[in-house]
Amino acid sequence: MIEPSYPHRMAAHCESGTLTGLFNHAGLAISEPMLFGIAGGIFFGYLRPRGLPFPTFVVRSRPGSLRKHAVARLGLRCETRTFRREDDGMRALDRLLDRGVPVGAQVDFFHMEYLPEYERVHFNAHFVTLVGRSNGHYLVSDVYHPRIARLPFESLRRARFAKGEFAARGRLFRPLAVPPTVPWESAIRAGIRSAAFAMTRLPFPFLGVRGIRLFARKVQEWPRLARDEDHLSHEVMSIHVILEDRGTGGAGFRFMYASFLQEASRVLSDPDLAEAARGMMENGDRWREISLFVARIGQRRDLGPARLRELGDMILERADDEERLFGRLLRKFPRQGIFSRFGVRL
Amino acid sequence: MSASATPELKAEIKSLVLETLNVTGVSPEEIDDSVSLFEQPALGLDSIDVLEIVVALQKRYGVHIDDQNLARTVIRSVETIAEFVATERAKTSA
Repeated sequence: MIEPSYPHRMAAHCESGTLTGLFNHAGLAISEPMLFGIAGGIFFGYLRPRGLPFPTFVVRSRPGSLRKHAVARLGLRCETRTFRREDDGMRALDRLLDRGVPVGAQVDFFHMEYLPEYERVHFNAHFVTLVGRSNGHYLVSDVYHPRIARLPFESLRRARFAKGEFAARGRLFRPLAVPPTVPWESAIRAGIRSAAFAMTRLPFPFLGVRGIRLFARKVQEWPRLARDEDHLSHEVMSIHVILEDRGTGGAGFRFMYASFLQEASRVLSDPDLAEAARGMMENGDRWREISLFVARIGQRRDLGPARLRELGDMILERADDEERLFGRLLRKFPRQGIFSRFGVRL
Repeated sequence: MSASATPELKAEIKSLVLETLNVTGVSPEEIDDSVSLFEQPALGLDSIDVLEIVVALQKRYGVHIDDQNLARTVIRSVETIAEFVATERAKTSA
């Protein structure tokens, strides 16, 4: 097959960027921030997963959830398949590519050999679009790479069927049809509502705004968990990596969410959302200051109790601001659950 | 990036970069406009320095560089930074 005509574009984040490219190709004009916002992608969770020696945090919803929510809220028809047998999964992919159909795939980031080796880590929830195959290679549109890349057959097979956390089981997805009338307004409202609810109302101490507060407290206890100063410095600097380096659209997705709110204010002709966008942008600026702060103190090994308290206070301020911002959004677009039907506000 | 950057803006950016990275013993004139900042030994830029410059540009000129892909494209040389700032300023004044 010759070089395909798929319009490859770089993007801020792999899942939202891949979906945006596929949806655009299917005829739906949508931006990456709009997709991210409609899918309710923004989040916070402070986690200590089993099997990991050190706590970590997430700044977005679970991998794969953007597709599920965006498809449902935009009224798209989409096909998603996983496979028990690798051969079946590879044959299904080849059949689609030979028909000239671009397909989204979930893969282990480590096997994306066209990216620099120092960037590649084992992470089973990377997303790419496969756009063709030729001479023993697949043609890959990866939003983190400037052009369509070539990946050997065997590498893609390993990437699609890698085992472990978030194992993809060969997952493929593709949009089948875009509705004649896209329900933009209801999709935007549902996206804001779900994100604001997840950030302010989930009854778990480690999720949403409560999770940010827990993070602010726990980060001051990190010296007790670290093996030595080098380890502590590495973990503190990983805050910077999670916020800025892992395709977050900047400041832990807060900038991308601000762009979404700005766009949403135009679609809904709602100046309150433009105001919320400005607030989210400032919130992003403050998260970025945290990012810079941890990079500096980590680099200088300036990790005494006073510095970590200072860091904790900065994080606590983010919790206060995000509680205000998302609280306001939830009051504007309240959930229509069983309780609200009886006049009870959650 | 389309708006043209003036020599004054480029000079300003050179000073801002030196000030932000706390580089002493190097004058702004010694920084080449078009040479990659990563390849200028006097600066020795790393990814944290890039973020420092991103924040400094935002404070000085009010321009946002949201994500790392964009940061890698913009924070390449004095010329690319100046063009980005000039374009963003032109957008806001339009």
